[in-house]
Amino acid sequence: MYQELNPLLLSQLRLAILSYLMVAREAEFNMLKEKTGATSGNLSVQVGKLQEAGYITVEKTYRNNYPLTLCRITDEGIAAFEQFYQDLKTYFDNQKSPSP
Amino acid sequence: MQTTDKILSPLESLQVIRETIDIAKRTFRDNGFHFLLWGWLVAIASLAHWYLATNNLHEHPEMAWGIMVVIGMPAAIIREWRREKIKREPNVFSHWYNMIWLGFGISMILAIPLAVKNHLSPSPFILILMGFATFMSGIMLKFRPLILGAMVIWAGALWCLFLTDVQHLLVQGACAIFGYLLPGYLLNQEVKKGHVSGT
Repeated sequence: MYQELNPLLLSQLRLAILSYLMVAREAEFNMLKEKTGATSGNLSVQVGKLQEAGYITVEKTYRNNYPLTLCRITDEGIAAFEQFYQDLKTYFDNQKSPSP
Repeated sequence: MQTTDKILSPLESLQVIRETIDIAKRTFRDNGFHFLLWGWLVAIASLAHWYLATNNLHEHPEMAWGIMVVIGMPAAIIREWRREKIKREPNVFSHWYNMIWLGFGISMILAIPLAVKNHLSPSPFILILMGFATFMSGIMLKFRPLILGAMVIWAGALWCLFLTDVQHLLVQGACAIFGYLLPGYLLNQEVKKGHVSGT
């Protein structure tokens, strides 16, 4: 059952990013850095992986003349998170009542 | 919270989800401003309406509610505009919180003229709607005084069954004090102390 969990979300940082975006829907890069406590370099790599998978979009824009990187969860990302959470629940249910 | 690119076990995954969602929820803030603003205004307007009506001091005692439009709406709009300007942090919790109060506002706009046109006192209907929105806020913020406040407001609506239309105004004023103002001040204090993660 463990092998069936989405491997992309078994990374601590990638899961934290997606969980945060499930509530916030969108967040600035610096906000994600603050909330996850990750380094800029590592966060940048993991955001890139989630973007490649189509789970988030990354928009580079400006606010009050300052550059801004905005990360947004996609419908695909929401579905992947919900599936991952469901798979986790199934895993723990199976742990509680192992089949004979 | 410190995160790395470490590979997680299912149990650790669940912990990460719980911790991160809790952190995200904390960005949802409300210091009780609207409960205090509207609590004071409803209490003052209700008591002023009652006083003017019982002493026959004015042909249209309901004019007392004008303070809601003259003071309440500009104060609420300015406050929201300033908050939006300082920091915009979208959040599904704040979105649904705002939608509940928007629905409440629309329901009030519909319920008051309908009640008045049918020669009914609008107070019990207002109290039912106030109770619902306050209850939902209390649930979303996990703040028990608001839930208790909602119950007081609903009890007030029920009590109106046994009272005259003019007496409804006194009940409405009391409900604003115990259902809005008191929980509003407690909420404000908790947020200042940092004990309430969401508002």
